[in-house]
Amino acid sequence: MAMGYEQTEDSGRELRRIVRINEEIKTVVKTAYRINLMAMNAIFLAKRAGQSALGFGVLSNELRRFATDLEQQMLALGQATGGSVSTVTAMVKEARAIKVLERARAQCEGVGKEIIDDLLRRRSATTFSDRRDQVAALNRNLAMMIESTASLVEMGGVLARSAKIEAAYGGSFSQSLKQVSSDFEGTISEIRKSLDCLSKFQMREFAA
Amino acid sequence: MKTIRVIYEDGAHKWFAIVRDPGRPDYLVDTNEFLVISGDDAILVDPGGSEVFPAVFSALSTQYDPRKINKVFASHQDPDIISSLSMWMEFNPNIKCYISWLWSSFVPHFGGNRDTFVDIPDGGTDILVGSQRLQAVPAHYLHSSGNFHLYDPKAKILFSGDVGAALMPPGEDNLFVENFDRHIRHAEAFHRRWMGSERAKRDWCSRVSQLDIDMLCPQHGAIYRGADVKRFIDWFAHLEVGVLKG
Ligand SMILES: [Fe+2]
Ligand SMILES: [Fe+2]
Repeated sequence: MAMGYEQTEDSGRELRRIVRINEEIKTVVKTAYRINLMAMNAIFLAKRAGQSALGFGVLSNELRRFATDLEQQMLALGQATGGSVSTVTAMVKEARAIKVLERARAQCEGVGKEIIDDLLRRRSATTFSDRRDQVAALNRNLAMMIESTASLVEMGGVLARSAKIEAAYGGSFSQSLKQVSSDFEGTISEIRKSLDCLSKFQMREFAA
Repeated sequence: MKTIRVIYEDGAHKWFAIVRDPGRPDYLVDTNEFLVISGDDAILVDPGGSEVFPAVFSALSTQYDPRKINKVFASHQDPDIISSLSMWMEFNPNIKCYISWLWSSFVPHFGGNRDTFVDIPDGGTDILVGSQRLQAVPAHYLHSSGNFHLYDPKAKILFSGDVGAALMPPGEDNLFVENFDRHIRHAEAFHRRWMGSERAKRDWCSRVSQLDIDMLCPQHGAIYRGADVKRFIDWFAHLEVGVLKG
């Protein structure tokens, strides 16, 4: 019976995966906060540039809203992984108990062995597979959230590119507006990278 | 696998000692577990750490159905005493664990729920096992601040937790103390360092010397019997405890 060992390994891997996802989420939240600040500066800059930077100002407002939405989205994602952590922790605990039981079984003879066999049969039939279903559901939910975040980030990318175009009409402010908009672009591509990592971690299927 | 030995038997009233685990990794302290049965009732005394559970379970199940253990006595809160609780509860979720009230909200970190723990008040309590009335004898600060020993007046056995414990060198694995003077050398440093209160020690010695004891069973090392019981109590009474060195 190597089942217990594999289950511990699986649950341990799952827990490490969630920790990685959480770390990546933190990175995105930090970056979103940076975009928020950048957008605020851009709004002031556009105000100073006046009439010629009206379009740029509008886009900066949109980018600010984008940053806030992104932050919200990541918070929700963090909460979802938090839920997985407690489910997976329960799985780790359970798998560890099964491992100890199997060690006991290996040392037992006669009645002891039968008693443990009976217990293991009942356990693997119920709790463990229930938990596995729970984790699968949580994972599906996580995947959906990451997907909708990805389309949000795509929209952010479009905004940043439009801001770059608008910057060209900024008259004497054109140079600094261009600088700001390429900063936007750079930061959003950072977020895109983080998000790619996120969905990569996410895709690494549980119990592969 | 550990060895299980009957150390007392009178009809349906029995004491088992579960001792010496040759397969135990050397980074784990060796422990003794005890099982007291009376008729259909059984109490497992200091059931041990979760790491040694397989060895204890397999030895115990050769003599007794582990599903019938419905009481556990924990002298104190240490992991080598009670971290296996959740494993025993796999076989009987209704186990009652008797432990000092001081620890009843700490030990649930090892397992158990609201209904599992029976608080022992500081003054001690009687625990009924089948037709036998065992006594939880106060032994606070020796070493744990909420600590009990278990006395069986009929069998004249005192389970003394960490008091009397000896950390035996490999190879010396006799069940009973054979040569007190040689044995006690392996107990001295342990008692000086672990036992924290001179006053608690004196109080324990004077109370325990009033009890009729044939065997004094510590949680680590060999069992004292006969004249060695008094020898141990006298030795302990004169030992300076609560010191960091020497
Ligand atoms: Fe202890
Ligand atoms: Fe101990």
